[in-house]
Amino acid sequence: MLLQLNNIFKWVQQGGQRVFLLKDINLTVEEGEFISIMGPSGSGKSTLLNVIGMLDDFDEGQYEFLSESVHQLKEKHRANLYKQYIGFVFQAYHLIDELTVYENLEMPLLYKKHSSSERKAMVADMLDRFNIVGKKDLFPTQLSGGQQQLVGVARALIGKPKLILADEPTGNLNSAQGEEIMDLFKQLNKEGVTIVQVTHSEKNAAYGGRVINLLDGRMV
Amino acid sequence: MIKNYLRIAWRNIKKDKLFTAIKIGGFAVGIAACLLIALYIMNELSYDRHYTNKDRIFRVVLQGSMDGEVLKSVHFQQLFAETLESTYPEIQKAGKINTSELFGAGRRALRVKGEVESNLEEGFVFADQEVFEILELDLKEGNPNEVLKNPGSLVMTEARAAKHFPNGNAIGKTVYLDDDTNRPYTVTGVVKVDPLKKSHLDFDYLMVIEDKNSDWLTTNYFTYILVDENTDIAGLEAKMKGILKDYYIPAQVERGMGEGFMEVLKTLEYKLQPISDIHLKSDIKMHDGLKHGDIRFVWLFAAIAGFVLLLAVINFINLSTAKSANRAKEVGLRKTVGAYKSSLVNQFLTESVVFSFISFVIGVLLAWLLLPTFGSMAAKSITMPWAEWWFLPTLLLAALIVGIFAGLYPAMYLSAFKPANVLKGNLSIGSKSGSLRSGLVVFQFTTSVILIIGTLIIYKQMNFILDKKLGYDREQVLVVQGANVLSQNAQSFKERLLALAEVKNVAISDYLPVEGTKRNGNSFKKVGEGTQDGTVPAQIWRVDYDYINTLGLQVANGRAFSEEFASDSSAIVINQAMAKQLAYENPIGKQINNGQAWTIIGVLDDFHFRNLKEDIAPLSLVIGNSPSIISVKLSAASSRSAIDNIEQIWQEYVPQQTFEYTFLDQEFAEMHDDVQRMGQIFNSFALFAILVACLGLFALSAFLVEQRKKEISIRLVLGAPFKSIYRLLTMDYMKLIMVSIVIATPIAWYMMNRWLEDFAYRIEISWQVFFWAGILALLVALATVSYQAIKSALVNPANSLRSE
Repeated sequence: MLLQLNNIFKWVQQGGQRVFLLKDINLTVEEGEFISIMGPSGSGKSTLLNVIGMLDDFDEGQYEFLSESVHQLKEKHRANLYKQYIGFVFQAYHLIDELTVYENLEMPLLYKKHSSSERKAMVADMLDRFNIVGKKDLFPTQLSGGQQQLVGVARALIGKPKLILADEPTGNLNSAQGEEIMDLFKQLNKEGVTIVQVTHSEKNAAYGGRVINLLDGRMV
Repeated sequence: MIKNYLRIAWRNIKKDKLFTAIKIGGFAVGIAACLLIALYIMNELSYDRHYTNKDRIFRVVLQGSMDGEVLKSVHFQQLFAETLESTYPEIQKAGKINTSELFGAGRRALRVKGEVESNLEEGFVFADQEVFEILELDLKEGNPNEVLKNPGSLVMTEARAAKHFPNGNAIGKTVYLDDDTNRPYTVTGVVKVDPLKKSHLDFDYLMVIEDKNSDWLTTNYFTYILVDENTDIAGLEAKMKGILKDYYIPAQVERGMGEGFMEVLKTLEYKLQPISDIHLKSDIKMHDGLKHGDIRFVWLFAAIAGFVLLLAVINFINLSTAKSANRAKEVGLRKTVGAYKSSLVNQFLTESVVFSFISFVIGVLLAWLLLPTFGSMAAKSITMPWAEWWFLPTLLLAALIVGIFAGLYPAMYLSAFKPANVLKGNLSIGSKSGSLRSGLVVFQFTTSVILIIGTLIIYKQMNFILDKKLGYDREQVLVVQGANVLSQNAQSFKERLLALAEVKNVAISDYLPVEGTKRNGNSFKKVGEGTQDGTVPAQIWRVDYDYINTLGLQVANGRAFSEEFASDSSAIVINQAMAKQLAYENPIGKQINNGQAWTIIGVLDDFHFRNLKEDIAPLSLVIGNSPSIISVKLSAASSRSAIDNIEQIWQEYVPQQTFEYTFLDQEFAEMHDDVQRMGQIFNSFALFAILVACLGLFALSAFLVEQRKKEISIRLVLGAPFKSIYRLLTMDYMKLIMVSIVIATPIAWYMMNRWLEDFAYRIEISWQVFFWAGILALLVALATVSYQAIKSALVNPANSLRSE
C-alpha cells in the first residue's frame, strides 16, 4: 500500500456555515496503480489531489503515506516526504519563465543534496529520455505547449518519485499533444510509477486502471 | 545553489527594466544622499581630533547668570593663564590667544623689509609659546622651543611663507605690519598645515603676545590648558573658583561694584570645555567670533540622511511585495519540488543583496559626481576617503546590511505563499498587505512634506533676514580695507573722495554693523547717581563725524555729532537699547562713565549690528580715531566708475598697497551665509527625498493599475467614461497624501519652531507654508499617478480581458 485516506473532511467557513470541499473521503492507493479522478467543475478533484500531494491541509481524518501519519507530521517533515516521493504535473505546466529548460529540470535537484556532477548526469539523462536535448537552452516561452508539458513531466520525474500527481495534464494541449502525454504516463506506469490524475476527459480516464468519481466533495 | 539564485535574480532584473530601474535608481539616489551627508557629518566631527593629548586639552569658559539669563564668556585676563599654571599643579600648561581686531588681530598689511609692496593679509592672531605647544603645532622651519618667546616673533603658515619669501628661508627675516617700521617683526617659524588636521582656530599668522596688562578686569584672551592625565575635571573646575575669590572679585570690589553685581559674581564658575567640543558645541553667547558648526545641525542632517535611506528601503519593500504576483508562481513551484521556506528566504535575500550592491555602486558614483557641487554649497572641502582602509569595507558591509534589511520583509512575505493557492492561478495579488503598503506610502510622503515645509520656512527666514530693515542703510556702501596705511593722510584722502560726484558720504571707522569688524566691551556707570548700583555693559565705537550719516543711522532724540561743537570730543551717542538699560527719563545731557566721563548728546534708533540670531545690545558711539576701514556711501547705480575713481585716488596715496574693498551688503549676506547654506543643503535633500518618494509612488501606481487592469477593462466595457476611471485610480493615493500632510504639519511646525527659536528676529510660521507644501506634494503625486492612470484608461479593454 502506498497511501491511504480515511474519513477525510475539508471545509471552509462561509457566512457562518461550513461549506464542505471534501466530505468523508476514503481512498487506498496501491503501488503501481494508475487512478483517474473525474467529476464536474467544483466537485473537489483538485482539492483532493492537493491533499494527497500534501500541498493542502484537511480538517478531519487520517492520511497514511508509506506508513507515516501525514496528519501528525510537522510542515518540514511533510515537505521532506513529498519532496522525496511525489512529483507534480500541472495543467498550466508551471515552468519558471526565467529559467531555461535545463535549469528548470535541475531545480528540484538543488533542493536535495546532489553534487553538481550528479545533477548534470541526471538532467542529461532526462533530456535524453524525453528527446529534448536540443531544447535545453531554450526558455519555456520559446516552446510549444506540448513541449512545455513534456518538460513539466520530466521535471516531475527527475527526483525518481514513487507517485506522480497530475492535475489535468492535457487541459491546455491539443489532442495530438495530449495523446502523447497520456502515452507517456502509460509507459511510466508500466515502469512502476504510481499515477493519480485529475481529468475531464473520458478518453484520458480510460488510460488509468481505476476511476474515482467526485460530486460536491463526495466520492460516488 | 547561490549561482542559481544569482542567475534568476539577474534575469528578473533584466526582464522588468522599468521596475528594476526604479528599484535600483531610488535606492542609488538614497544611498548617494546618505553618503554625502555622512561625509559632511564626518567632516564636522573631525575638528580638533588630531592632538595626541586631545582628551587633556581644554578651553576655559566662565559661566554665570544674571536675571535668570545664562552668561558665558571665553575671554580672560592676560594674567589668567600663568596664574592657572602656577596655582594648580595638575595644569601642565596654560596658554592664551587673542583674536580681537581691537588689538591688531585679523587683517593686517604685511611688507617684507627691503620690498616696496605691502600685502593686505588676513588671519593674524596673537598667541604665546604655551598655546603653540598645547595645540601641537608642527614647525617646518624654526625652533619649536622658542618660536613665540621673544618680542617681535612672528610665525606664519607654509603657504604664506611661500608667498612672501618665494626663494625660501623665511626664518630670521624682518617684516612690517601696517608699515609700522618702529615695530618690526621677525619670522621665527613656519608652520606645516595638514588639511586633515582641522582646528576651530583658523589662522595664517601668529604674533607673539607682548601685552603686560596685569588688570583683572580686562579680558581679551582665550585661555587653553593642558592637564595631567587622569585629572578630575569637575574637581579642577571647582578648585578654580579660587581664582575668582583671590583675584577677580577683589578687583571688582575695588572698582566699587554695587550689591546687584555682587549677586552676579556669586553665580560665576569656570568650566573646562574639551577642545574637540569647541567646533560643534559652543554657545553663540560665548561670542568667540569663530566660525562654528552646530551639533544640532549634525543631528538634523543625520536624521535626514537616515530618512532618505529609509525612504529608499521602503520603496524597495513596496516594489518587491507589489510585484509578488510575478514571483508567486515561482514560489509555489519551488515549494512543490521541495524547497523549504528557509531556502526561499535565502533566495530572496540574495536577490535584494544583489540589488543593494548594484545600487551602492551607482549611488557611490553619483555621490562622487555630486561631491564638488555639494562641497561648495556647504563651503567645505569634502573628499571621498577612497584611500582610507575602512572606507570600502564599510560600504560593502553597509550594502550587505541594507540589502538584508530591505529584503527581509519581502522575503518573508513571498516565501509564505501556499503552493496550493498560488498554483491554482487565482491569487489575489498582494491585496492582503494593502494596508501595510498604504502605511509605508504615508510614511514616505509625510517625510517629504516635512522636508518641503522645512525648506520653505528656512527660505523665508533667510529672505526675512536678508531683507530686514536693519536700521541702517547697507546698500551702495563701499568698504575700503587696510586704510590705516594712509595714517596722517586719511583725512585728505577722505576729502578727495568727497569731491567725487559719485560719492555721497565718507566715514572713517573700524566699527561696522557686520561681523569681522572691531568690537569691544565696556561697562558704563551713571555719574552722579550713587544710589543706582550695577553697570550697563555696552560697546563703545570710535567713529568720525560723518559716520551716522554715511550709514544712514536715525537719530531718535537729541542730535548727532557735529564739528561745530568743540565739546563733542567728550560727547557720546547711545542706542535705544542702552538708553533703556540706563533708565534715564531723558538721557540727553546726562553723564556716564567708563573710566572716562561722557555726556549723552543723542539717542539713535536701534540698528542691528550683530548677527540677527542675537538681540540688539547696548551700543554707544564716540568721536575717535580708528583708521583701518573707510566706508564710502555711493550715489545709486554708479558703482563701477566710482570704484575705478576711488582706486585711482588710492593709488596716488599708497602705490605700494593694493586697493582692497568689499561692499557692506555683501558682508552682511556673508554674516548670514550659514543660514543661506543651510537652506541650500536642505533644499537639495528635500529634493532627493521627494524624488525617491515619487519614484516609489510611480512604481506603486503602476502596480495598482496592473492589479486592477481587469476591473478597469470591465468598467470600460460597461461604458465608464475616462474621467471616472481616472478618478478611481488617483483618489486612493490622493487620500493617502492628504493623510501624510495632516501628519506632517504638526511635526514640521514643532521642528521648525525649534529652529527659529535660535533667531532673535524671526518670521512667524503662517498657515500658507503648510498649504503650499501640501499643494506641492499633492501635485507631484498627482502627476506621478496620472501617468499610469491615463495609460491604463486608454488601453483596449479586449486585450486585458482576453487573457482571463
